[in-house]
Amino acid sequence: MDGRDRACRLLAGFLTGDLDPAQARRWDEHLLECEACWRAVREDRAGRQAAQMLRQPAPAGLADRVAFAVEVAAAGQTAARRHGSPPARSSGWARSGGWQRWPRLAGAGTVAVAVLVTLVVVLLPGGHQTRSVPAAVAAVADYAQAVPPLARGQHSVSGGRAAPVEVGHPVTVTAGGQKIVLRTWRLGGTEAVVAVSSKPFPMPPRAQGVAGRGMAWSVRIGKLGLYCLNGRTSELVAAPVPAAELAALAARLPLA
Amino acid sequence: MGADHRVFLEATLPHLDVVYQVARQAAWDGQDPEDLVQETYLRAYAAFGSWRGENARAWLAAICLNVARSQARRRRRRPWEVTGSGLPDVLPLSRADGGEGMADVADVVIAGLDAAEVSRCLGRLPEPQRVCIVLMDLAGYTAKEAAETLGCPRGTVLARVHRGRRRLAQLLAETGVAHGRP
Repeated sequence: MDGRDRACRLLAGFLTGDLDPAQARRWDEHLLECEACWRAVREDRAGRQAAQMLRQPAPAGLADRVAFAVEVAAAGQTAARRHGSPPARSSGWARSGGWQRWPRLAGAGTVAVAVLVTLVVVLLPGGHQTRSVPAAVAAVADYAQAVPPLARGQHSVSGGRAAPVEVGHPVTVTAGGQKIVLRTWRLGGTEAVVAVSSKPFPMPPRAQGVAGRGMAWSVRIGKLGLYCLNGRTSELVAAPVPAAELAALAARLPLA
Repeated sequence: MGADHRVFLEATLPHLDVVYQVARQAAWDGQDPEDLVQETYLRAYAAFGSWRGENARAWLAAICLNVARSQARRRRRRPWEVTGSGLPDVLPLSRADGGEGMADVADVVIAGLDAAEVSRCLGRLPEPQRVCIVLMDLAGYTAKEAAETLGCPRGTVLARVHRGRRRLAQLLAETGVAHGRP
């Protein structure tokens, strides 16, 4: 360490209150006499003051987004352990088109894969196409969009009267300050996500009220139809079906 | 779902704001700092089992910087690129003539602070100095925490932050003079 470096460290230590009292006193005295060091002190303070201008609080909703991502990751790890699959590690899997191979991954690992796919797609930068809608609704839509379509007859809700079958396990997330429990149901050839929250899901800007259903509303986000029923709890159904079929689909699902 | 993610969130979410400060400066052009924060938390969660309960802020900042660097490498871009040319590595600690004929750097800087200009000038600092300024002046880390984050001695952090602040002030002063301020 040369003399200049040592002086720099000592002055930096002085400015951060890091020197012992005797050293600090010597610097105090020195600064009264040394114009160059006094300028260094003033420049240091000006630089610090300038840098501090760049502080910005984290955006509202970022904490919810992070908590949501971590909870989904936790759900993914749990499902992976349960089904013997390795936990999700990288979003590169989705980028490489791994999710497109979903229809071929039938069998015992499908639930784990669904959760992992959910995890990766939800967490992909740019995967949040629903930012203009309230965070809680966007989270449900993101989750439902991440459920891969089945290989056969995706839009055959009205065909067949088979009872809905629950797929995988419930996932609890928090978004927009709402705790939401997500369940995935297979009904005919369609996967539908039912989200339940004790708080009403906020109505997105382009949503339409549904006549005769009290506070019900529906909205379309991408290929998804969303249908919200508000009663003792708020229930949001999300499925890749035409708007006209949403009510019929909701009627067949085990809602409260 | 295990309970560990709740423990993780309790331990780390209080530091979201400082991680965001680091992410805003570490993100490369076009990268959303919020995405970087999220990726930081996911990496931290994946490594939570091996975390020994040391300083969570320093741990998260180190992860954030590593994520930013590795993502930038993948895109073959440097997040902490030094764009300044001809900048001396070490500013003279003393200027014997007191800068006669030049406006006082500190006065010019304080009189003309502009966030966009500050951000641009901060981007011109060498990475080691910039990281130290981001950690200490934006994120509010102590020199000890910054040293833990960067894995270097505390004295080194202090020297870098001091040089970086002075260089930042001088760059801003040059800009101020160029814009016609005294």
